[in-house]
Amino acid sequence: MGGRPLMELNANAFGRNSRKALLDKTLQEALGRTTGRFQAHRDAAVAAFPEFEATRERASRIKRDVLDHLDTYLARFIEEAEKRGAVVHVARGPGQAREIAARIARDEGVTLAVKSKSMASEEISFNEALQGAGVTVVESDLGEFIIQLAGEAPSHIIAPAVHKTREQISRLFERHLGEPRTDSIPELVAMARRHLRAKFLSAGMGVSGGNFLVADTGSVVIVTNEGNGRMGTVLPRVHLAVVGIEKVIPRLADLPTFLRLLPRSASGQTISSYVSIVTGARRAGDPEGPERTHILLLDCGRSAILEGKYREILKCVRCAACLNACPVYQSVGGHAYGWVYSGPIGAVLTPLLVGLPEAAALPDASTLCGACADVCPVKIPLPDFLLELRSDAREQGLKAPGEIAAMKGYAGVMKRAGLLEAIERIAGVLGQFFTKGKGIAGLPYPFSGWTERRDFPVPAARPFRKRWKIQRGVTR
Amino acid sequence: MSSPAATEGDLVARFTETFTAAGGVLLLGPVEAALADLGEILRAEGVAALFFPEDDAAAREIAEALVPFGPFHLTTGAEVRGGSAAVTAGFRSAEAAIAETGTIVETSAGGRTLLPGLIADVHVSIVRAASVVARMEEALAGFTADPPRNISFLSGPSKTADIEQTLTVGAHGPKKAIALLLA
Repeated sequence: MGGRPLMELNANAFGRNSRKALLDKTLQEALGRTTGRFQAHRDAAVAAFPEFEATRERASRIKRDVLDHLDTYLARFIEEAEKRGAVVHVARGPGQAREIAARIARDEGVTLAVKSKSMASEEISFNEALQGAGVTVVESDLGEFIIQLAGEAPSHIIAPAVHKTREQISRLFERHLGEPRTDSIPELVAMARRHLRAKFLSAGMGVSGGNFLVADTGSVVIVTNEGNGRMGTVLPRVHLAVVGIEKVIPRLADLPTFLRLLPRSASGQTISSYVSIVTGARRAGDPEGPERTHILLLDCGRSAILEGKYREILKCVRCAACLNACPVYQSVGGHAYGWVYSGPIGAVLTPLLVGLPEAAALPDASTLCGACADVCPVKIPLPDFLLELRSDAREQGLKAPGEIAAMKGYAGVMKRAGLLEAIERIAGVLGQFFTKGKGIAGLPYPFSGWTERRDFPVPAARPFRKRWKIQRGVTR
Repeated sequence: MSSPAATEGDLVARFTETFTAAGGVLLLGPVEAALADLGEILRAEGVAALFFPEDDAAAREIAEALVPFGPFHLTTGAEVRGGSAAVTAGFRSAEAAIAETGTIVETSAGGRTLLPGLIADVHVSIVRAASVVARMEEALAGFTADPPRNISFLSGPSKTADIEQTLTVGAHGPKKAIALLLA
């Protein structure tokens, strides 16, 4: 099986990546179809659940408490998990995480690993680490499996192959699995099922992520619709869960609160098909289940985020509702963001995890419309964070002098009502005079890029603020 | 739903609704009445083999009673796990069911197997009406002190929408999830 290329960091090329994405017809069609459908399903599920707002408030409160006492909850999680037979490892950075993962695979004598979806594992280039240790890693989430065959990276947190059509997928299955061509989606799913079932039955290790870590029981909770997460934690003789330290929740009794939010926010389901709560290793007398359970906890920049003003970003449950709601994501898709996480969450999390200089372009990838904050099930103030990161970028000298000058000029005008009024009046007269009320087809540099594909609207003969004054005068 | 006065009848009615919404097929007992319908569904799915855990008397009883309703033969978990090519239905009695979400609860507590709902093509859960609880909290309450290795919430068939956002069943787990609800 072809390995996926290393998740290279390419976030500062957001502008160039976006232009490419906007010209990609297949991607544009897929994005329109997907984000719209996810949003409609999410909105319907939320509308049908009167307790949504109260549940959201509760989840947000629990997560804030977790962040305030993360050290305590993590220590408890580790203690409970180890008490029940799991082996817990903590990695400070991606390099150490790769070393630990490779060592586990080598020590357990694993040659084939079946993996279910884990965004955290993408952060550390997990697959490459295992391949380096001589282990074949097969992605088992259907979307991840498809893009692994294609040698690409995921473009959406919960729908990684959203940019692929059934024709492209059938061609991949023909080339890599020797399957006949088909345009039937159920047949394609059946082909992947057959192929991956054989892998599940022969793999030495199942690798999973974890949606939640339960502190008072030491459990790892895995939520899937396909059932691959469940299979990988029951059938192979070793289970390795790769999970970020921020995924901990205090009590098993808190889990339902999050299970009421995650599937509804992600796909509009009341609940996903499968929730697996796995605790420790196989017990004496269990007829199946892994002999050894390893849990690899990733810090990888998280404790540094915890110390700073962006700590609430660690409340994220990776539902992807903010991606689907974001007009920028809807237009350019996930690859444009140039790393593991995309959309509004990616625009905040990536600079915090990899360093602002490496991803300073991402906080600009937003219109600050606020749709992301409206849908976030744990109430992360994403637009505030995006704005704050822009200001950090300026302070760190990461903004172009031209942009700073332009923004200063803009602020100068907006703060002086008289000056703004004068400019509006002149623009109104000139606009009407030169264009006869039609759109302006070409602006001079540096605004020429804007008018390359669309007309600039003509300034109104009578500015809005003036009309507003008159309107108020009349109604009063 | 959260009202403490919810009767068994209310819970069963709610579970019927939510389990069906999750894509499951619900059959009501008594067993004798449900067997013909169940046999027909299994035949339509092309099922040839039936398997049940050795220590699950209720599952055994129903699987054995079904044999005359099709060309069905009985098989073992080991055969299925070995990669048997026959289309298989796995039978197992559920520990509980959750009305809120349409969920079947299965656990490894007491050394019970999870294979019927994991690797079979069709999963048949035997649910006692008295075991239906209102909310997820109630289903988890008994496990807080010392949870078994595996607690599984199963809500409908295995699903994927990873190809062109088209909902398709049977990605990895069962293509069909059937609950047989008995008094």
